[in-house]
Amino acid sequence: MDFAFTEDEERLRAEIKAFIARQLTPEVKAQLIAEREGHGRGPLAAAFFRDIYERGWLGVSWPKQYGGQGANRFAQYIVEEEFYRAAQLVIGGGGTGVPAVLAAGTEEQKRYYVPGSIRREISFCQGYSEPHCGTDLAGIRCRATRHGEIFIINGQKIYTTGAQAATHIYLMVRTDPNSKRQAGLSILLVPMNTPGITIRPLWTIQSDPPAPPKTTYGEPRTNEVFFDNVEVPATCLLGAEGDGWAVAQRGLNLDRVGAWRYLISVMRDEDIVNLIKKDEPPTEGLRQDPRVRDKLAELWTEGQVCRLMTMRSLSLEQRGGRFKYEGSAEKIWAPEHGVRATEAISQILGPYAQLLNGSPHAINNGVFAHNLLGAFQSTVNHGSVQVMRDQVARKGLGMPKQRN
Amino acid sequence: MDVLSDEQEALIQRTAGEFLAAECPPSLVRAVEKSEEKYSKQLWTKFADLGWLGLCLPEEQGGQGLPLTYLGLVLEEVGRYLAPLPVHSTMVPALVLASFGTPVQMKLLERVACGELLLSFGIVERSGRWSTDAIALSGRRDGNDIVLNGSKYFVDNFRIAQKCMVAVRMFGADGGDEGPAAVLVDTASAGIHCEPLLTTAKDGESVVRFDDVRVPQSNRVGAPRQGRAAVDALMDYASVFLVSQMQGAARRAMEFAVEYVKHREAFGQPIGAFQAIQHMAADMVNAVDGTQLLGREAVWRLSRGLPARVEVAQAKSFANEKCLMVCRSAQQMHGGIGFIAEFDLNLWYRRVTSWTLRGGTTYEHRARIASALLDTPGEVRLGRALELPAAAPD
Repeated sequence: MDFAFTEDEERLRAEIKAFIARQLTPEVKAQLIAEREGHGRGPLAAAFFRDIYERGWLGVSWPKQYGGQGANRFAQYIVEEEFYRAAQLVIGGGGTGVPAVLAAGTEEQKRYYVPGSIRREISFCQGYSEPHCGTDLAGIRCRATRHGEIFIINGQKIYTTGAQAATHIYLMVRTDPNSKRQAGLSILLVPMNTPGITIRPLWTIQSDPPAPPKTTYGEPRTNEVFFDNVEVPATCLLGAEGDGWAVAQRGLNLDRVGAWRYLISVMRDEDIVNLIKKDEPPTEGLRQDPRVRDKLAELWTEGQVCRLMTMRSLSLEQRGGRFKYEGSAEKIWAPEHGVRATEAISQILGPYAQLLNGSPHAINNGVFAHNLLGAFQSTVNHGSVQVMRDQVARKGLGMPKQRN
Repeated sequence: MDVLSDEQEALIQRTAGEFLAAECPPSLVRAVEKSEEKYSKQLWTKFADLGWLGLCLPEEQGGQGLPLTYLGLVLEEVGRYLAPLPVHSTMVPALVLASFGTPVQMKLLERVACGELLLSFGIVERSGRWSTDAIALSGRRDGNDIVLNGSKYFVDNFRIAQKCMVAVRMFGADGGDEGPAAVLVDTASAGIHCEPLLTTAKDGESVVRFDDVRVPQSNRVGAPRQGRAAVDALMDYASVFLVSQMQGAARRAMEFAVEYVKHREAFGQPIGAFQAIQHMAADMVNAVDGTQLLGREAVWRLSRGLPARVEVAQAKSFANEKCLMVCRSAQQMHGGIGFIAEFDLNLWYRRVTSWTLRGGTTYEHRARIASALLDTPGEVRLGRALELPAAAPD
C-alpha cells in the first residue's frame, strides 16, 4: 500500500509544469483549439507536439520497441494530467486505439499504429454507436462483408465525436451476417480518407455559444459517419475475425478510467472552491456561509474518491491485472459525482450559473452553465451508468441475469 | 503509488480474518451483548496470544513495529466479524503513548502488546461534540498532582480497562488555562463514578464522572507543549480506525445481502436478478470501496507521519453516510426478516449505526475539511494535500 508518487514521478511533474509554463503560449493554445475544431494542425501546434515528443512524453508507458518510453502507468498518468489541466489536451489516448492495438494487434499493426500515434500523426475516433443501438452495443448492424483479402463496409455510425479530425476510425462491425448479439462482431481500423466514407456533423447543445475551456463535454459537434461500399484490405482487422466483442471490452474499460475521466469529473470542484475563497463579488460572503461550506466539503470528499478510484485502476493496470468490476464502478462514481457537483454548484451560485459563454456577468466564461449542459453526457457516453451498474452487480458480485 | 494491498498486507489481513471467522460467530457477538463486561475475555486472550495487538507497537516494547496500515487492516476484520474485543479502545490510546509517551509510559505498551493491559479513552463530554474546543474537563496542577474534575461521555470499555486516557483542559495552580492535554488515569482511582449506557450497538459505553480525581503529574502524556498534538492524535486515531471497522462491517452486510438475493425467489426468479436490486448493490459496492480508499489513505498518511487531519475527516464523514446507507440497503434487500431480532443481519446494522455517531459526525468532519479548503491562502488542487489553518475547528 503506497499512496504517494515517487520522487522521480514528482520530478517529472515539475518538469512538465515548467515546460507548459514556457511553451504553451496563447498562440499555441489557439492553434490547438483550431485543430480540435477540424481546421488542421497549425505550425506552432506542430512544433509544440514535436517538442513534447522529443522529451519522450508521448506514449510514456508504451513499449520502447514501438517508440514509447516503457515507463510505468503512473508516469503516463502524470503526463496526461498535466497536459489536460493546462490545455484540456488529451495525450496518450484512451482505450480505443493504441491500447487495443497493443493488446490485440499484429506485429505489423503495432509497428504502424503505435509510433504513428506517439508522433500524433495517427488518431482514432470511435465507431461503436449506431442510430438504433448505443448502450446495447451487441445490436450492431453496420456490416463488413469479406471478399477474399478485402472487406466491404456498409452501414452507419452515430455520435462519432472527433471524426472530423481523426485519421482513423476504430470501427465495430458485423462480419458474420448470420450472427446474433456479441458473436460475429469484429473490429476494423479504417483510414478516414477511404472512399465511400461520409461525415455529417451533429451539432450539440454546446455549439451556440461554444463552451469555454474546462467544460465537461463541451464539444460543439459530434458526427454521423456513413459507409457506402467502403473497401478496405483485410489487414485492417484488429484481432481475430468475429472476436470484436472481446477486443472492444478491454479497450472500453480503459476508456472509462484514467486522467481524462477523472479530471472532467472533478475540475469544477477546484474551480468553485478557488472562486469562493477569493471572496469577491458576486460570490463575496459565500465563504462564510455554513451551508456552502458543508456542501463544498462533501463535494471535495467525493472528488477524492474519484481520484482514489483512478489510482486504484492505475494500480491494477500497473500490476498487469484486469478489471473485474472496478472500471465500471469508477464509470458510475465519477460521472455521477460530476453531475451532483455541477448541480450543487449552480444552486450555490444562483442565477449567475445560467449565464453562458459571452453573456454579460458570466462567471469564469460561463463554465458552470456549460457544465449544466455537458456533465450529464458523461453518465451516458462510454456505457451508461445503468449498464455500468449491471456490470458491477453481475461481474463484481456474481448476481444472476434476469429471466424473461 | 499502489493503492492495493501488497502480499504481506493481504496475508496478514487474510490470517486475521480466518482467525475471527473461526473464533467469532454471531452467536458469540450475541452472548457478549448480554454479558456484564461486554467483551469476550477468552477471545481476547487468543487474539493477544497470536500477536495481533503488538503488530504496530514498537519492537522495544515487544511489538512488531509494522506500519499503522496493518492495524487498519486488522480492524477491518474486527469490524467484519463484529469481534467483541476492546481492540479499538485499547490500541487508540496505546498508539498515542507510542508517539508521545515518556519512557515510563512507553513501558506500559509491553503489557498492551501481550493483552494484559486494557485501555480506554475519553474525549467527548456532555455536549456530545467532537471538538477540542468542547473539552472542558479540567486538570488543575496541584503540587505534584493533577486534579481532575468533570465528565466524559460515550467512553468505550471504561469498565473493563485498567487505565483511561482522558482529554482534559489543563490549568496551572494559579488557574491559568494551559490548553488541551491527555492524561492517563487509573480507572480504579478514588472519585470516579461510572454510569453504563445502553447503545444501539449494545456494547460497553459509559459516562464517567471525575470528582477531584488525583493523578501524578507524570501521568500527563507527552511534554507540556505537546498537549494539543497528543489530543489531536488521540482524536484522529479514534476516528480513522472506526472507519476501518465500519468499512469491514458494511462490506460484510453487503455480502450477506448479495448472497440472500441470489437465493430469495419472488415473481418467479431470484430477486437478485432484478435491476432494481442489482443497481442498489452496485451503489453499495462503490460506497464501501470509497470508504476503504479514503480510510486506507488516511491511515497510510498517519503511518508515514504525514499531516492527515483532513484525510481523516474525509474518511469519517464519508464513512458515516455511506456505511449506514450500505447496511440500511442490506436490510432493505432482506425485507421483513432483516427486522427480526434473532436474524443476524441487525447485529451489523446496529453497530454501524452507532459507530457513525462516534469519533465525529459527518457535519463536524466536513467543517474541518471546509476550513482547510476555504480558510487558507492559495488555490486548492485535488491530489495536493490540504493544510489546516491554525485555528481550525476540530
